[in-house]
Amino acid sequence: MQQYLITILILLPTLGAVAAIGHNFAAYKRETHYRWIALAFSVLTFALSLLLLGGGGNTKDGFQFVQNDPWINAINARYHVGVDGISLWLVLLTTLLVPISILSSWTAVTKRTLSYYVFLLILESAMIGVFVSLDLLVFYLFFEASLVPMFFLIGIWGGKERIYAATKFFIYTAVGSLLMLAGIIALYFIAGGTFDYVTTLNVLKEGVKLQPGSQTEALLFLAFAFAFCIKVPLFPFHTWLPDAHTEAPTAGSVILAGVLLKMGTYGLLRFCIAFFPASARSFAPLIITLAVIGIIYGALVAMVQPDVKRLVAYSSVSHMGFVVLGLFSFTEMGMQGALYQMLNHGVSTGALFLFVGMIYERRHTRLISDYGGLANSMPWFSAFFVIAALSSMGLPLLNGFIGEFLIMIGTWTSQAITWPWIATMLAGTGVIWAAVYLLWMLQRVVFGRITNPENALLKDLNAREIGLLIPLLLLMLFMGVYPQTFLDRSRASVALVRDRVVAPQRGGTIAETKASESSIVNRK
Amino acid sequence: MFLSLAFQIAIPDPNVNVGLILPELIVGGVGVIVMLVDAFARPTQRWITGGLSLAGLGAAAAASVWMWLNWAGNPPRGFHDMIVLDELRLSFTLIFLFVSALTILISMVWVENEKLPAGEFHSLLLFATTGMMLMASGNDLVIIFLGLEILSIATYVMAGFRRTDLRSNESSLKYFILGSFSSAFLLYGIALIYGATTTTTGFPGTTNITAIAARLDIARYPALLFAGAAMMLVGFGFKIATAPFHVWTPDVYEGAPTPVTAFMAAGPKAAGFASFLRVFIFGFPFVAAAGWAAKANAAWVSAMIVLAIITMTVGNIVAIVQNNVKRMLAYSSIAHAGYALVGFIAAGAATDLDTRNSALAAVAFYMLTYSVMNLGAFAIVTLIARRNDRRTEVEDYNGIGFRAPALSFTLSIFLLSLLGLPLTAGFMGKVMVFSVALKEGFYALVVVAVLNTAVSAYYYLRLIIVMFFRERTTPWSAPRVPASVALAIIITVIGVFYLGLFPNKVIDAFQKKPVTAQALR
Repeated sequence: MQQYLITILILLPTLGAVAAIGHNFAAYKRETHYRWIALAFSVLTFALSLLLLGGGGNTKDGFQFVQNDPWINAINARYHVGVDGISLWLVLLTTLLVPISILSSWTAVTKRTLSYYVFLLILESAMIGVFVSLDLLVFYLFFEASLVPMFFLIGIWGGKERIYAATKFFIYTAVGSLLMLAGIIALYFIAGGTFDYVTTLNVLKEGVKLQPGSQTEALLFLAFAFAFCIKVPLFPFHTWLPDAHTEAPTAGSVILAGVLLKMGTYGLLRFCIAFFPASARSFAPLIITLAVIGIIYGALVAMVQPDVKRLVAYSSVSHMGFVVLGLFSFTEMGMQGALYQMLNHGVSTGALFLFVGMIYERRHTRLISDYGGLANSMPWFSAFFVIAALSSMGLPLLNGFIGEFLIMIGTWTSQAITWPWIATMLAGTGVIWAAVYLLWMLQRVVFGRITNPENALLKDLNAREIGLLIPLLLLMLFMGVYPQTFLDRSRASVALVRDRVVAPQRGGTIAETKASESSIVNRK
Repeated sequence: MFLSLAFQIAIPDPNVNVGLILPELIVGGVGVIVMLVDAFARPTQRWITGGLSLAGLGAAAAASVWMWLNWAGNPPRGFHDMIVLDELRLSFTLIFLFVSALTILISMVWVENEKLPAGEFHSLLLFATTGMMLMASGNDLVIIFLGLEILSIATYVMAGFRRTDLRSNESSLKYFILGSFSSAFLLYGIALIYGATTTTTGFPGTTNITAIAARLDIARYPALLFAGAAMMLVGFGFKIATAPFHVWTPDVYEGAPTPVTAFMAAGPKAAGFASFLRVFIFGFPFVAAAGWAAKANAAWVSAMIVLAIITMTVGNIVAIVQNNVKRMLAYSSIAHAGYALVGFIAAGAATDLDTRNSALAAVAFYMLTYSVMNLGAFAIVTLIARRNDRRTEVEDYNGIGFRAPALSFTLSIFLLSLLGLPLTAGFMGKVMVFSVALKEGFYALVVVAVLNTAVSAYYYLRLIIVMFFRERTTPWSAPRVPASVALAIIITVIGVFYLGLFPNKVIDAFQKKPVTAQALR
């Protein structure tokens, strides 16, 4: 059972999709049945995914629940899956967000519900697959496969500009990942004819077949980094994101922000940094610069958005900049913080998109100027919305604070760039900007007097909506108060990557950083 | 061994080994039977010919598989080495049989609806298949040319099968004129090769591919070798539709009846690849020692690199601006010939037998995946086109996504597979072909191919976008799906996912290694 758990997790949502299609042929079918089928399968997937927390069959590489079977002998590709401290949380984030987005679509999606839920479930399978793949070809398979359902979700159930947004989303990500495919195949020959992640990593660790710091390594790094940076998205590759986010249906936005963007940062951590540490070090100044630009640029653009969904979308650019910054600080705290921030962003921004979806469902507009004084008509909504926004801007005691704080401490002590404090200071302004645009938005949407009479009659959240928000709000609190649960799990796995990349000749031994990190975390 | 014992007819000298051409004999024989049955059958029993043809193709496939399983040791040869039995031949033979069978399924009802003579159509198809199989099994330029002509003449007729339709006539005539032209090129090339391979020791020339390879260094007129090879390159290049010899493709594909287009895009192209591979990989193999043989190999490999790059780029870029689905698929088929050429080049430059075998297997696998997804796509295009091929413009697909969800989603699967998206056959085909090319060090070529794949996303997605993301304003009702076409679509969908997810068995079979070590020539 243990070794098949992950495969079951991947297949279960697809099975749900098949069940929904099968139900289509039943005589007693109803449009409303499909959402129940989707919900049942996604909740079951979530429940099963909690078993991953129990751990089992730990290998020496830190991977658990490993299944490793031959797949294509001719090119020695294997079906190799497993989770470690990094992917564990991302899988759980995925399985949590999917049922929530299905619940959020409960009444919002009325047309073509069968196809809608089928695509959502297939998407879930692909997303889980991305995070658990330990074979590069399998990883690529899932990475690309996640594109198609999202393409349809945006294109069919999206807003006015959906065709443009869907096409742009597809082409941007596909171009990036095709270069990665070339990189994967090149790496296949370098590693001696294997796609296996662990084997490849061990070959690269020896540093014989691929000289660290060589031109080939740099090219391979770029091929991978390009794909992931588009996905993240790192400035200046971010232009697909506001369009896709804005046009996607609510559930699409939640999943896009919550999970799909994490594939990019996960890939950077898992492949770019772990495989090519020397190149990662030499490109770190560039990537950190872009990340800092992204943090500030995203925040500034978010500030002037008249459309609240676009505002949240640009805030994603800013927040994902933090994640990349933390990853490329190459300090244990920075990288742990980055991983933590990935989860935070999934929870907080996912929640923000849910709120936007809820008011959009009531008013069919996303313009900030159409709202105002919602606190009077929708007290529950307003209270929750404020909490989520505060979590997103990094208020202490809520989750966002921990992630950003760790990242900034990590960057400050980083040896990846010459004057790390400049990057830290600049990134720090991003937190201030976040407060500005989020609070300003809250002021205009939630507080004040009701200027538009339509807003006075809006219904507050119903039980379903409160129910789907509660888990996220509880997580925000829990993650903000007791991060140790999460950080302890990921420490060893992140440390493995960090040990690869750390530059010993420039000070700071691993032991020191570990000690200082744990002391700081404990102090909190 | 068993083969030759069982089927050796007691004529000592001509080296006849009927067992060796058993599948070809079955298909050709059934073609004749179908013709006779059609002449004597009552008009209401036309479907009999289709069933008979399918049975014949099935028997030929069984014979091929049997040959595959029962031969051990070095490949048996016969007819004075004019026919070979190896993985290249058998894998392509099975592809041809698959293509023909699916074409029959797709066209079964179509033939009736269009009031066309079914028996003629089926027997022509069987003869074309015989030609294709000979092209794969011939180890002699003459046999290959014979197969090519059997195939071509049948296809010319099939392209013009709707006599009353001007487009069909145009298609047929264009194909005939340009096809004859290319056959002439090929024949001229063969003649030049024959002349070139007369040896200085006084032996006459040869058209046997194995012998050509052996004589390259001692050829009396080496310059003619290059001229002959170039001529053959043009002739084959025409058949598989490589740029700049591709200009006939869009017109012919657009004008021919859609089921025939489906056949032409998959079958003759694969057949062209089979004999193209045979002639160039085995006739002009890689040779390490300096000499005419090495020069000839280097020359055609570098010419082919240029061809491949032009073919991929032209096919994909021109496909973007097409407004007719059949024309778009025609340009996409040009682009796919370019991708397959990438594997071809790797096979040509391979320095050891293992690499060459895996490159050949990669190309064969690519042609298989291409045939599966292309036939599937054309099956649906046939259905949507309705009678007289009226609805083949992209506009006709506007908003049909949820009017005929099953058809539209299936067509999307085929399009995404043609695009090369993971989980589908198209992806595996590309991975196999590109990985052998990278192994041989053709990095730039693979990068060009990958960029081309990105370009192709645009036009494949366009059709999906049109189907699903737009609303239809004019009335449209879903076409009725006949059982035979439904079967063809189900087979191809399963094929797309089977080859995309579990390609292991097929690839392994395609590159079964010879028992004894052989040199490259």
